[in-house]
Amino acid sequence: MLTDSISKAIAELEEQQVAELVKERLDKGDSPLEIVNSLQQGMAEAGRRFESGEYFLGELIMCGEIMQDSMVILEPLLSGSNAEYKGNIVMGTVKGDIHDLGKNIVVMLLKGSGYNVIDLGVDVPKEKFIAAIQESNAPMVGMSVLLTGCQESMKETIDAIRAAGLNTKVLIGGNYIDDVVKDFVGADYSAQAATDGVRIANEIFGA
Amino acid sequence: MIIIGEKINGTIPSVAKAIANKDAEFIKNLAKIQTEAGAAFIDVCASVEDSLELETMKWLIDLVQEVTETPIAIDSPNARTCVEAIKFCNKPGLINSVSLEGNKIDVVFPVIADTKWECTALLCDDTGIPQTSEKHLEVFAGIMKKAKEYNISPLRLHIDPLVQMLCTSDDGIITVTDVIKEIKATYPTIHVTGGASNISYNLPARKIVNQAFIVLAMSAGMDSAILDPTNKDLMGMIFATEALLGRDECCMEYIGAFREEKFGQKSK
Repeated sequence: MLTDSISKAIAELEEQQVAELVKERLDKGDSPLEIVNSLQQGMAEAGRRFESGEYFLGELIMCGEIMQDSMVILEPLLSGSNAEYKGNIVMGTVKGDIHDLGKNIVVMLLKGSGYNVIDLGVDVPKEKFIAAIQESNAPMVGMSVLLTGCQESMKETIDAIRAAGLNTKVLIGGNYIDDVVKDFVGADYSAQAATDGVRIANEIFGA
Repeated sequence: MIIIGEKINGTIPSVAKAIANKDAEFIKNLAKIQTEAGAAFIDVCASVEDSLELETMKWLIDLVQEVTETPIAIDSPNARTCVEAIKFCNKPGLINSVSLEGNKIDVVFPVIADTKWECTALLCDDTGIPQTSEKHLEVFAGIMKKAKEYNISPLRLHIDPLVQMLCTSDDGIITVTDVIKEIKATYPTIHVTGGASNISYNLPARKIVNQAFIVLAMSAGMDSAILDPTNKDLMGMIFATEALLGRDECCMEYIGAFREEKFGQKSK
């Protein structure tokens, strides 16, 4: 059960109320990080409601937008950029595939859970994955794929990451993804549901 | 979409009976269920003989205001009745309606000039209902001239292009949708309204025609309508159309109305 008023308001998708409460808490002198934590708890609750079928996708996206609107205000107030994040995660849809709905939901949930997500978008070539992992030193990379024809592309990307000497944990996600696919492409984790992504990230980061 | 709840109307036999028998509970219930269904105005039309109209209006308006805060739409073909009934209302509502027929507009506009009352204006004059879009727009121009004269903002006007029955129309509702588009292009903030059921007169399975009509009319720019808000199929169609027209971010309104059982679910 949520007790914090901001957590409740964002979980209930009360856009205006969230904006007012964020302002109120800042005026009161609360730390921006505490407020972000409250927002994250509410967002996690919205994620649970989506998972259980209580919320529709539109409501989850709305929740993400309210979060983003709040972050526009809060982010500049968070000192020392990455210090508050649980860690960096690189995300993208592999080359040859342009589906991003599932990926976007996972990105939103990860952001909501306190991770700094570097979202590379869709149709991402392996070089771009490698460059982003090297640059951010991310311990985890998430790859999304919907088209079965792109398994090969996913395998190549993971091989390239390993060849570059990176021991980043690789999570693959998508509708048809299972352990067989995971083993074939050489990934560390696989996920079908959006909330699996958060659970696995927490495992990897020990959060 | 601005919904004007149509159910309290003396031309409906069950309502006429309730008026004749002074059945207050029947009327109050109609006000209540329309409010719960999302009406922005509760239309009140006595439809009794002239000598009884004003007192009947007062009786009806008082009953509605006992059970809801939703503003009243005073519905009478008699402009005097409309103006007189304003004093029975607790808050500004909607006058339904004026047109360029006779002196209606000159009776109503001066009275509501410096108020927050809104007003429905029918696109007709002493020659009747226009048959071409040119004539529609000519009548519209006449109404806007009067509105300007009395400093009534387009925001307070609901223009009714007077849809006629489909079964005798030569071009379906193309003339009407053309008129709606032209009106909204000239005055983006003005409301365009209409009855949702006139269109299907004398056709079988009228509900289907009414639903198709509302979709096309909304697509042309209609943003207000007089209808039965407890008709869940029609309300569902309206919420879906709003979302399809890109006026419903993340489908929040659609989902919210569904949750409130305004459509698509069996009532508990």
